[in-house]
Amino acid sequence: MKDSTRTALLVTVRTLIAAACVALVVVERTTIGWGHLAVMLVALAGLLALLASYNRRFR
Amino acid sequence: MLACLLPALVLFAVFMVYPTVNVFRMSFYTWSGFSPDMTFVGLDNFRHLIDDKQFVRAFQNTVALLVVVTVVTMGMGLFLAAIMTRQKLRGRNFLRFVLYVPNVLSVVVIAAVFSAVYDQNNGLLNGTLRLLSLDGWQQVWLGNQKIVLYSVGIAMVWQSLGYYMVLYMSSMSSIPEELYEAAGLDGASNARQFFSITMPLIWQNLRTSLTFFIMSAVNLSFVLVRAMTGGGPDSSSEVLLSYMYKQAYTNSSYGYGMAIGVVIFVFSFLVSLLVSRATRREPLQF
Repeated sequence: MKDSTRTALLVTVRTLIAAACVALVVVERTTIGWGHLAVMLVALAGLLALLASYNRRFR
Repeated sequence: MLACLLPALVLFAVFMVYPTVNVFRMSFYTWSGFSPDMTFVGLDNFRHLIDDKQFVRAFQNTVALLVVVTVVTMGMGLFLAAIMTRQKLRGRNFLRFVLYVPNVLSVVVIAAVFSAVYDQNNGLLNGTLRLLSLDGWQQVWLGNQKIVLYSVGIAMVWQSLGYYMVLYMSSMSSIPEELYEAAGLDGASNARQFFSITMPLIWQNLRTSLTFFIMSAVNLSFVLVRAMTGGGPDSSSEVLLSYMYKQAYTNSSYGYGMAIGVVIFVFSFLVSLLVSRATRREPLQF
């Protein structure tokens, strides 16, 4: 796979995961419960993991 | 040396360390806040939190605001700063002024402005929608349980956006122009220049502001919720700090309020720590 294709694919996947995490937070908020709060916190952790994975190559 | 530091250390201990430790201590008691009777109840206050639906709702609202407002504010702040710094827009100084003004205003004034904008009958938002013949889109912006939290979130973004934009603009404008010229000659697009030059060179600033914003968003949400909705309708816009305030000062359950305070402290601390860890990197110099 070409380097540019790989980069484009990685950016797309990261963007989709980030959008999914934000959407999960918004959707889960509508129902009250510890389980839903746990899913929201997992989504928040997912966003932070994405940030860490983006930052990893610059460390 | 120690003598010079002593006044500051004493002030720090009296006004920062003692109140924080006291929050943890008080969370193990039941106390009305007025009477001299304080009863030690151990972890009972924390056990009650588990069965408290309103607490869970406030926690969910806090997480939702934290995520949505941070993503939107940081994203838009970076985007606008990049546009204003790199593109020669006409009237950009005016635009910068307009976007920065909300940060100078008191949060209570902002709450009043947005309450007027969201007014069901004579508000700017519903009025504009009527004018555009989009009557079906009209909402009771602060009265609809499904959207009230996001109405508060928009006010939060409006208040913070200008500050972070100006912060990023100051970092971006210190990046040498030659770097962009060289990248342009090599055929790098604007997006490529942003992610390969701008972002790495402003990273330390971005990192600090992100950690700072997460902590301040928790506080800002309390002030705006308190001034705009009071946590309503039916607690649908309640956030952790406003719920803590209600329990400690309105419901006279000071100990229970402090237990909520401990949860807020631990949550904010953990999120800030994780953000700090996730964004740590060697500073780049140019």
